[in-house]
Amino acid sequence: MKRLYLPLILFLFVILEGVSLELLPPKLVMSDLLIIPHWVLIFLVFVSIFYDKEQTYYSVLYGVIFGLLLDIVYTGVLGVYMFTYAIVIYIIHGLKKLLHANIHVTLLLGLIAITVADLLIYLIFFVIGLTEMSGEEYLFYRIIPTVLANLLFLLVLYPFLRKRLVKWSDEQLTNN
Amino acid sequence: MPFFRKKRLFIILIGFIILVALIGFSLGDRKNLSTPEQFIKDTVGWAQSVIHTPVKFVANIFTNIDDLKNTYDENQLLKEKLSQYKGLIYEVQEIKEENEQLRKTLDKTESIRDFNPIQATVMSRTPERWVEQITINKGEQDGLKTNMAVITADGMIGKVQTTSEFTSTVQLLTGFDQFNRISATISRKKGKDIFGMIEEFDEETNSLLFKIIEESDKDLKKGELVVSSGMGGVFPAGLLIGTVKEVIPDKYGLTRTALVKPAADMYEINNVIVVDRTLTEDKPEDQGDKE
Repeated sequence: MKRLYLPLILFLFVILEGVSLELLPPKLVMSDLLIIPHWVLIFLVFVSIFYDKEQTYYSVLYGVIFGLLLDIVYTGVLGVYMFTYAIVIYIIHGLKKLLHANIHVTLLLGLIAITVADLLIYLIFFVIGLTEMSGEEYLFYRIIPTVLANLLFLLVLYPFLRKRLVKWSDEQLTNN
Repeated sequence: MPFFRKKRLFIILIGFIILVALIGFSLGDRKNLSTPEQFIKDTVGWAQSVIHTPVKFVANIFTNIDDLKNTYDENQLLKEKLSQYKGLIYEVQEIKEENEQLRKTLDKTESIRDFNPIQATVMSRTPERWVEQITINKGEQDGLKTNMAVITADGMIGKVQTTSEFTSTVQLLTGFDQFNRISATISRKKGKDIFGMIEEFDEETNSLLFKIIEESDKDLKKGELVVSSGMGGVFPAGLLIGTVKEVIPDKYGLTRTALVKPAADMYEINNVIVVDRTLTEDKPEDQGDKE
């Protein structure tokens, strides 16, 4: 049963991303700033840091599955989020071995994850012609507000998730 | 260790190939979604309808507080407008009746203006802002098909892009590119209507580009209403699209382009009406055969 917690929470985040724009004040949504919720990615960063052992790659697997889900449900262009989330979480998984897990490291890794993921998505969308935004506009209007808003979300989640994920991770070990 | 490195590189390469293949598949020329996609969309759509109500409730509390501040001014304004409308309603009723009678005498009961409205509720909006889509809670089961126009009380907001059994995806006007054109018109007296195409949404000016065909009168005024003309064969005529904001010459100075501000609010969309045109493309051909 406990194994189902992670996919269920991730599924909830996928759904919540769809109504996320309604939670923001309308003035912010109507302005030129583009704030994109990457909540699934942030949760995957937590999973990667606190839940995954060195040899397990649950977070990458979930990245593939839920990235594809986001693609199907929200953009219609398959593979973009799937590929991006998987590769970014793989990088995070590699980096966390070098650093001791605490709030500063989580923030740093979250920052890297969101920035790299959004850049990759921009690159792919730019290549296939879904966006014509220039690099400069992208920098000011999209990536900076997006990263800041998502880091805020990460900070809010941190106290709720950390202990729980570590506990589930230990149980995963004893079960095996 | 070198073996491991090679394996890792191999996996990334395969991943990349899958990415390219999937993008190619989804951008390719396909009429509707594949069955697994439809199934997933319906499943997520069902979960969204469960989550949507409480989230909406919370979000509404904040907007309500905001609204309260402006209530008094708005009330004054609306009262003034209401008195103007009373006269209009009477006039419209008269004209409608007259129109119906004239149609009967002409033996022409169907018009490209007629449509069956299908009410739907918006369940989610794509978080990826470059893809301007919303999901609504009606699908093929309710008679929705791709390319149907979608409107709110204020005006047109987009068209149905893909359908699955119980939900469908709507492409908003703000996400229109040159592949989604709407044939539109500005109505004038004595057959001097202005025709043209709404060609795409321009991000810089935040408006739709209305390319006017050459033969039309080029003398446009600010604030004129642009409505769909029904000549495209998919949308019915007379759906309000927006108002003219500015008129600019195009690159070569041959045609003029009007910047059109969409009439409907693209951000606060809750309830929409999907427009099912009663007069389909095939019918005029059938009539032609009989004659």
